[in-house]
Amino acid sequence: MATATQPRLLADIAYVRSGDKGNICSAGLIAKSPELYPLLLASVTPERVRALYGEWVTGQVTCYPMDNIEALMVVMRGALGGGATCTVRLDQTGKAMGHALLRLPVVELD
Amino acid sequence: MKSSIRLGAGSGFWGDGMDPAMELLDKGELDYLCFDFLAELTMALLQRQKQKHPSAGYVPDAVAYMKAMMPLARERGTRLISNGGGVNPRAAAEAVVREARDAGLHGTRVALIEGDDLLGDIDVMLDAGVPLTHMDTGATNFAEIRKRVVSANVYTDCSGIIESLHERADVVVAGRVSDNAVYVGPIMHTFGWKHDAAHIDRVAAAVALGHIVECASACTGGMSSRFDQMPMMGKVGFPWFDFHADGSAEIGKVAGSGGRIDQHTIKEHMVYEIGDPNNYLMPDGVADFTSLRLSDAGPDRVRVSGVRGKPAPDMLKLVIGYSDGWIGESIAFFPWPHAFERARKARQTTLERFERLGLKAEQVHFDFIGINTLHGPAAPLPTPEQAAHLNEVGLRVAVKTHSMEEADKVRRAGANLWIMGPGGTSFGAPIKPRPVVSLWPTLIPRAFVKQRVEVLEA
Repeated sequence: MATATQPRLLADIAYVRSGDKGNICSAGLIAKSPELYPLLLASVTPERVRALYGEWVTGQVTCYPMDNIEALMVVMRGALGGGATCTVRLDQTGKAMGHALLRLPVVELD
Repeated sequence: MKSSIRLGAGSGFWGDGMDPAMELLDKGELDYLCFDFLAELTMALLQRQKQKHPSAGYVPDAVAYMKAMMPLARERGTRLISNGGGVNPRAAAEAVVREARDAGLHGTRVALIEGDDLLGDIDVMLDAGVPLTHMDTGATNFAEIRKRVVSANVYTDCSGIIESLHERADVVVAGRVSDNAVYVGPIMHTFGWKHDAAHIDRVAAAVALGHIVECASACTGGMSSRFDQMPMMGKVGFPWFDFHADGSAEIGKVAGSGGRIDQHTIKEHMVYEIGDPNNYLMPDGVADFTSLRLSDAGPDRVRVSGVRGKPAPDMLKLVIGYSDGWIGESIAFFPWPHAFERARKARQTTLERFERLGLKAEQVHFDFIGINTLHGPAAPLPTPEQAAHLNEVGLRVAVKTHSMEEADKVRRAGANLWIMGPGGTSFGAPIKPRPVVSLWPTLIPRAFVKQRVEVLEA
């Protein structure tokens, strides 16, 4: 359970599925329940995503809300070391990469 | 006219299980069973095979599947549609016809669809002023890779599939049609829809449903975040869907099969690799994934409705593959105590070996397996206290080079570690260097793409 010193992580409130398209990693975050959706939106911003991945994401990050299914698409350009066919990373298609988003601390809303 | 048809997903990729497809064909009461076998890299690999052997270049599984399924498909009245023709749909279709004859299935009609392979048309497009700008990076220096191009396939719409079905094909073998065209095609054929303004939302609904099921078990519990709640995944059921003339659908699976279908498993695959969910661009149309509604429709059954869309795009996506050097890779593992320290020392030793061997590399990349292989900079390193207790740590090095000879130095440096490395250094089999095909995605006008359908009869 969260305490004042230990913020909740996105892993506590959302699921993720990610994959590739060329050198773009596309990650869909899904709120575990509808009431957690506003927290998901507040907690994931392009700036926070860029800061999380550092040199692994070299391009633009865009977030697209999906109110109908309480989900957020995070589209990261320049995110796969060149793309599945030429990357030197093990996770060639970014299947595991999106799970790192679950490390982001949750921004609690009043 | 029928008010509803049932389509099954028979394969999510080249490498998927065949038994769930067979189960679906047997018990799913399907009108169509559809198979996606292609991925971005697959076309370049198949093109290379075709260059060595002119009769190769298709996905071998695509023929093996048809061989296994044609007898039952005829009994059940199910038509089979795949994109397993790869870069040689003609050879694949001829092989399917031979299998049909061998099985005594005379009269089986096998349609092949060509026209997506534009490897021979690149200069025509350049001469016509098509810039072939890289659609992701905006790069315009295509000339620099022109000589290294090995494949060029355009994602085509379902027009060829519609024509094949109109020609009474029992089996359709396409090349690089879009993944979900194998679903959109039979839907548009059944309901007589056109790529016109009157059908925008309904075609978008077909595109959306195609997307949801096209990776087969990925919407029935595969790849799930709730993996611990998915029963019998080794016996998972592949999805079918009943698509109605109004553009709504129910997704289900064979009763008693493994896995699960609920709103969550559908959501999980809705968000997979779609990019901008408001504009899911496919050659047949544009689906707005923020418009659709999900609702429960019984056990392991979910209803999808309300999909809105936009007209099909004017330009089509052409993916050009080009030779781009080599990758050499090596992996070793290190035991407790001090596993992480051993791995770090081995990294240092490897770098010294690279120096001695005079390695010329474009990129040198290290991972500590068990620590940061999958999340890189996003993964926190263990504290010294945590590190001291790790049971084992691996070291992976992957290096991109211009030549095979340079890439092979990585294998040699890795082998050197067997004795030069820290105590306890252990290995699997050495990894051979692999050639790299990089991709150059670009947009081209539809005028350069002409699908051709031919029906062969067994």
